[in-house]
Amino acid sequence: MLEIKDLHKRFGDTVALEGVSLTAAPGEVVGFVGANGAGKTTTMRIAMGVLAADSGQIVYNGAPLDVAARRRFGYMPSERGLYPKMKTAEQIAYFGELHGMSRAEAKRAAAALLEQLNLTERSGDFVQDLSLGNQQRVQLAVSLVHDPEALILDEPFSGLDPLAVDVMGTALKDRAANGAPVIFSSHQLDLIERLCDSVVIIGNGKIIAAGSVEALKAKEVKQLRVSVQTPQDLTESLPGTVTRDGDDYLVEDADDQEVLRIAAAAGRVTHFAYDQPTIAEIFREAVTR
Amino acid sequence: MSSPTPETSRMRGLMLVAGREIRVRGLSKANLVSLIVTVVIVGVLAALPTILGGGEDEAETIGLAGTNAAAMESQLKAAGGFDITMYDSAGEAEQAVEDGDVDTAVADGTLYSEENPDQGLQTRLDAAWQAAAVQTSLAEAGLSDAEIAAALTPRPLATVTLAEGETDPVTSYFTGLVISIIMFMMLMTPVQYIAMGVVEEKSSRIVEILLTSLKPWQLLGGKVIGLGVISLVNLVAMVAVGLGVSAATGVLADLPPGTASAAISTIGWWLIALVLFGTLAGGVGSLVSRQEESGSVLTPLIMSLTLSYIGAIFTLNAPTSTFAQVLSIVPPFSAITMPTRMAITTVPAWEIALSIALLVLAAAGALALGAQLYKRSVLYTGSRLKLSEALRRTA
Ligand SMILES: Nc1ncnc2c1ncn2[C@@H]1O[C@H](COP(=O)(O)OP(=O)(O)OP(=O)(O)O)[C@@H](O)[C@H]1O
Ligand SMILES: [Mg+2]
Repeated sequence: MLEIKDLHKRFGDTVALEGVSLTAAPGEVVGFVGANGAGKTTTMRIAMGVLAADSGQIVYNGAPLDVAARRRFGYMPSERGLYPKMKTAEQIAYFGELHGMSRAEAKRAAAALLEQLNLTERSGDFVQDLSLGNQQRVQLAVSLVHDPEALILDEPFSGLDPLAVDVMGTALKDRAANGAPVIFSSHQLDLIERLCDSVVIIGNGKIIAAGSVEALKAKEVKQLRVSVQTPQDLTESLPGTVTRDGDDYLVEDADDQEVLRIAAAAGRVTHFAYDQPTIAEIFREAVTR
Repeated sequence: MSSPTPETSRMRGLMLVAGREIRVRGLSKANLVSLIVTVVIVGVLAALPTILGGGEDEAETIGLAGTNAAAMESQLKAAGGFDITMYDSAGEAEQAVEDGDVDTAVADGTLYSEENPDQGLQTRLDAAWQAAAVQTSLAEAGLSDAEIAAALTPRPLATVTLAEGETDPVTSYFTGLVISIIMFMMLMTPVQYIAMGVVEEKSSRIVEILLTSLKPWQLLGGKVIGLGVISLVNLVAMVAVGLGVSAATGVLADLPPGTASAAISTIGWWLIALVLFGTLAGGVGSLVSRQEESGSVLTPLIMSLTLSYIGAIFTLNAPTSTFAQVLSIVPPFSAITMPTRMAITTVPAWEIALSIALLVLAAAGALALGAQLYKRSVLYTGSRLKLSEALRRTA
């Protein structure tokens, strides 16, 4: 269990974080979303210990996260960084060693990851000679090489082609299936929807919404969408607040059974359901509120 | 995975960083090529005296005749390096020189030579002539061959030097010069590479991942160690080739006494100076985010290294002046000036002790300052940090 508790951080006059808390249970994939400058990167940097918070703490399995435990984490910073003039496989293995693996273990793990990421034939190349997307894959390998207990990834999907997105998604899911808590930020909300168990939305340094994907969707559900094959205009006859969306009626604040009865009386009902908002809509709703 | 004790993992982190520097920078093509080129140049330079000296080892051809000819022959044979022809008379010997059959001839107390004989040859022949004369008279006095041999080879004088360290002034000047040049080079190169490495890690942002598993002091310390090892290995390779070639060509015998102890003490001075300049280089390197800016922050360090070197050269020419005395005690200049001064003159022990103490103190201060600077500014990106800002920051 990874708990981020009540973080506060200022940069000079800028307040970056104002009481940010979020948790990731073992095996849980948490999506961290928010507008540019909302505070995602700052939160993750503090969690990884590369930035000091003004106040607040990071608790891992019930104890404050220390250097030794953090060494078993996997981290992908938002600003990617690799040694440009170091060979791919050598570089991945070096990070494995830094994380406490023996040289042989690290080499083996690096080779296995390169295989998994379709980069085996580039193992002897300098990182600077790889394409940006492939450098990104190497960056992922660097964060996974020591078989981390927990993952904190800042926009791991940016700059990846669809194939690599799948590889990355699978990698995250695999780690989570092994019981690792996973937190990642992204602006690609369809990916968040597809991969995450829960979502945390941050705006201006404060958490504005958090919960499991289903719960968030259920909470945001308000509109009943009705399609009826009828020449009549039902705007006046349906109960509650009624708006039109193309040929559909959107009904709010009304007893759904009564809406169904009136609609069925008017003609053949081809669609009758509550709109499931996408995460994107929830997000838009949350940040504009 | 077994969890190592914090102590071993701390050292391990340091060594991993140093090892990476050595592998990536020391074994880089650029470094290997420059090392090979330097080693070849050093080898050629060391062999040069022999190559230019050409026929030095060729035996002198010499003709002997007349008085003492037999004794001369045994003397020259004992000395070695002569190709001897015996003639029946002085006239024949002289003729042989004229015809070019031999280079020189000695007959009846006269030296015949086509041109003026060179100084060394003449001295050797003179000595042989004296010995031959003595040998002949001893034989005439009725001494046996063994007795003559014993009389002619007395035990060489035992040497007791009263003024310690009074070597040939030209040699000590040369030793001092070599020490100052090597110290300068061996500090300049790692200082620049340490700063470059720090800026590389900062500008490529890799430092953010590194710091999740390493402490700033491990990153900085590992760099200083790694580049120190590379410099040392490069130097040892050069020296080994230089000495090896010299030994093979027989020049080595000329190496001044005390060279080994001077080399060892110079390495000691260098180690302290490396900590001083290396950690400062890392600290100021972390103030900038781009390689282009690293030159400007390094300037003060490069300047003080250059001044130290100039001070050392000054010391060579005026080793007993007050200026040299002060310069060889005040850090950071003492790092290069003192070992140079020690090579050229006898420095009082208290001055050496004071100089070492001050340099160690300065190195400790630099270590603290460099590490603090590094810790506080390495994660800061954007425009160049001022020194005062970096020191005010709370990491
Ligand atoms: N080193 C810094 N110095 C000054 N201000 C900073 C620093 N880092 C972040 N900030 C400020 O803190 C706020 C939060 O930034 P942060 O990078 O955490 O946002 P983010 O959610 O990651 O944004 P993005 O989606 O663009 O990556 C911003 O206002 C930013 O300007
Ligand atoms: Mg960010």
